[in-house]
Amino acid sequence: MALWCRGVQRILVDVRPIFSLFQTIGNTEYSSLSSVSRPEGLGSDEAKEAKTVEGHKPIVPLECRFVYPEFLPDPRLDHRNSLREKLERMDMLNRRAHIDIPEFYVGSILAVTSSNSHAPEKSSRFVGICIQRGGCGLRASFILRNVIDHQGVEMFYEMYSPVVQKIEVLRLEKRLDNELLYLRDALPEYSTFQLDMEPEFLPEGAPVPVNPIKVKLKPRPWLERWERQELKGVQDLGLPERFYKRAAEVARPWEKYDLMKEYRASIPAEEQEEIFVEVYSQLQQLEVMRKKMKRRRTFVRPKKMG
Amino acid sequence: MAGVGCSVRGYFLPLRVARNVVKGSICCLFQQQVRGAKHLNYPRLRNPIWFVRKERTKYEEHLTPENKSFIQEVIHDKYGPPTVIGGISTYKQSPLKLQPMERGSWFPGCRRTGVIARKIGIYPMWLKDGTRVLTTLLQVLDNHVIRYIPPEEFHPPRTSVRNPKSKQQLGCLLVGAESADPQTFTKEYCGLFKDSGVMPTKILGRFLISPEAAVQPGTPLYASHFKPGDYVDVRGKTVYRGFQGVMTRWGFKGGPASHGVTKTHRRPGNIGAGGGKARVWPGQKMPGHMGNRYRILYGLEVLRVNTKYNVIWVKGPAVAGETNSTVYIYDTRLPLRKLKETPHFPTYYPEDDDPLPDDIYSENLHPFTAPTITYEENA
Amino acid sequence: MNCKGRMDSKFMLMADLLCDKAATTTAMLREKLKTCTVEYITNNFDVESIWLNVIMKRLSMWRNFPELMNVGRTFHTSSVCGHIIKLTRLRVVDNSEIGKQAMAEGKPPKCIHIYNKKGVGTIGDKVLVAVKGEKKKGIIVGVKQNQPSLIPKFDSNNVVLIDDTGTPLGTRIHVPIPQILRTILKEKNVVKGVDYTKLLALATRFV
Repeated sequence: MALWCRGVQRILVDVRPIFSLFQTIGNTEYSSLSSVSRPEGLGSDEAKEAKTVEGHKPIVPLECRFVYPEFLPDPRLDHRNSLREKLERMDMLNRRAHIDIPEFYVGSILAVTSSNSHAPEKSSRFVGICIQRGGCGLRASFILRNVIDHQGVEMFYEMYSPVVQKIEVLRLEKRLDNELLYLRDALPEYSTFQLDMEPEFLPEGAPVPVNPIKVKLKPRPWLERWERQELKGVQDLGLPERFYKRAAEVARPWEKYDLMKEYRASIPAEEQEEIFVEVYSQLQQLEVMRKKMKRRRTFVRPKKMG
Repeated sequence: MAGVGCSVRGYFLPLRVARNVVKGSICCLFQQQVRGAKHLNYPRLRNPIWFVRKERTKYEEHLTPENKSFIQEVIHDKYGPPTVIGGISTYKQSPLKLQPMERGSWFPGCRRTGVIARKIGIYPMWLKDGTRVLTTLLQVLDNHVIRYIPPEEFHPPRTSVRNPKSKQQLGCLLVGAESADPQTFTKEYCGLFKDSGVMPTKILGRFLISPEAAVQPGTPLYASHFKPGDYVDVRGKTVYRGFQGVMTRWGFKGGPASHGVTKTHRRPGNIGAGGGKARVWPGQKMPGHMGNRYRILYGLEVLRVNTKYNVIWVKGPAVAGETNSTVYIYDTRLPLRKLKETPHFPTYYPEDDDPLPDDIYSENLHPFTAPTITYEENA
Repeated sequence: MNCKGRMDSKFMLMADLLCDKAATTTAMLREKLKTCTVEYITNNFDVESIWLNVIMKRLSMWRNFPELMNVGRTFHTSSVCGHIIKLTRLRVVDNSEIGKQAMAEGKPPKCIHIYNKKGVGTIGDKVLVAVKGEKKKGIIVGVKQNQPSLIPKFDSNNVVLIDDTGTPLGTRIHVPIPQILRTILKEKNVVKGVDYTKLLALATRFV
């Protein structure tokens, strides 16, 4: 750590937002590190071509990593194996052929229909705001929250579970924070959504809107120490000065300058491209097919009058 | 000699003369009962014939490029051109040199060979009723049978105490995994592979088998050796945890965290009773090195087999070892889960039947290619 | 410098790193130590200043509150489990008289016994609660504990008061109830004289 510190003395930029776009140095060592056979075939030719092209224009759009974040594997080096990741991606694509898992973010409102052996109708539907998204590969999951009859309810869903029948996005939007766990300590009106909400459509090609809402929290006690987290989506917490003082004492302001920590917690850009080159074409095909089916369904032949 | 600090009141077994016996070694049997004797390391007293020096010191040989390519040509001539089989870059092995062996027929109770694999990871799969199970993926590396030693010639260094004759009926099958460039190994090690015509492998393992299950040296072993629905035992080396205290290593409860306790939060406490046996018993659980031991997990169900990449999915996440470590897979020894129908015997030969589909699933496993699970409404 | 208490590991790491630095930096640190004042440098983007800042704060804490810097005295606690145990306060969600009064007073019922072998309760378990000085039985219909996939998690631990035969004391349950209760209570109906179907009939909404 002392070595990189000396080199980086005067170049202090918060590396987190920029890091994902930088290409890393020497990440081609990856395959030898994991010491496992890399399966040849699928996509590697295209990737090799891209590397030799000067100027290196990306083949797949950069947004892939945000639209399909679960395709990126767990960055922990101990657990990485290219063949297993490839098989996992194949299984994910096979599942996506049977269910449309749309693009959504934390803060979007979803309606999930799933098969439920306990219900008399054998299926159940839940509408809620996505407060957390986690997991890599087939373990991808999300939590939906809603307040029903003045009772806060949360449901944990596994995205690739074959029991999930349908995932609809009723409102596609982002919030100012990556996780909205503070909604549990917020006033109930911020988590209440009608169960019969109609889907709101965005114009084609429009960027995902960011909801700049600032949520008001209930008075303390809270489930977590929200003053210690850099939350942008909450109003002024209104706590005594000692809370903020203690928060400043336990704060770790150097972490946002820690290059290696960020490197270890992310997948290098070149690898991300290789991964998406493999799966993007199939995902595009599925999307195109679904759009066609939608148009076919909504098209109603005009009836002759009289 | 395995001295564990107690008096050796044993008897001397007659010297068993085998090919590579270490002269002067004597097998002692402890007559005294030792508490928890399972974990005591009784030493191996004769090294197997394949325990030869494997790696050689690599030094700069200053070969000209022509010489280097000539060596590569020789290797390709001898062993075959480099290809990719099942996602692993290996060499296309030449046809077998030895006389073809007769294939035995299976009978219940027969022991067939196992397979050397690599644990590549864990991911979840779902059963047909919606239950989620974690499955471990085991990739069967480039396996080849190297040698078969019949029971008359094979003298394992450790025999079962209860049933000394049990292993005398079993032959030994040497299986190698993950072929590598012969230039990285010593001459003696390469010599082990001469008869079979197989490229020297990085990993060499042995399986005890019934003589009927003998496989011709040079035969490749695939993941289709096991079928979905079979039960297997998986042996692997546990994750090394270093020197660990008694709470992590043996699950002791330690001491209270507060209430005035002085310096006794994670200690073992009392280690023995007083009275007659006024000493610490051998086998007393104490802090020490934890992990890096071979441990076998019995009765894991095979849920799915991929024939293209030679991967086996077994139920459960607890296979010993880290990701990318080597494991050995055997047919299960649990009596209620043993094979009842004829498996691929002595192993799976691709030329026998029609080519298998890429993915074979167990009956109760839900493949991702199948549509969403729905429950039927009861009347 | 003689200091009471143990230095925590973060401090040690940073102190070591600063010792590697040029003499001017260490001189600066020495100067600051003499004065021992804490100045919060806000607009400086210098890494060293930030570290110096933190070190200064820790040193000052050390001098003034040595007991607090004894980081070795803490012990590790596991995360919150969230299941129902004895003395857990529960929220009555039916409209029984006794339940309504207890919740209105601000003295919610406390669980005093769980009718299963484990001693911890979750959705569907029968519990004995002490409410307004009386002992009543109840069924847990919602917990704050993290649940497996497809089972809802509630913001409060909800209970419905029942009598010995399983008939609820109230006439309506105004909060949503998990679907899995249907299966759990059906299995419990096996015991003679117990019938939980009335409880399920009272529910207005299933989640």
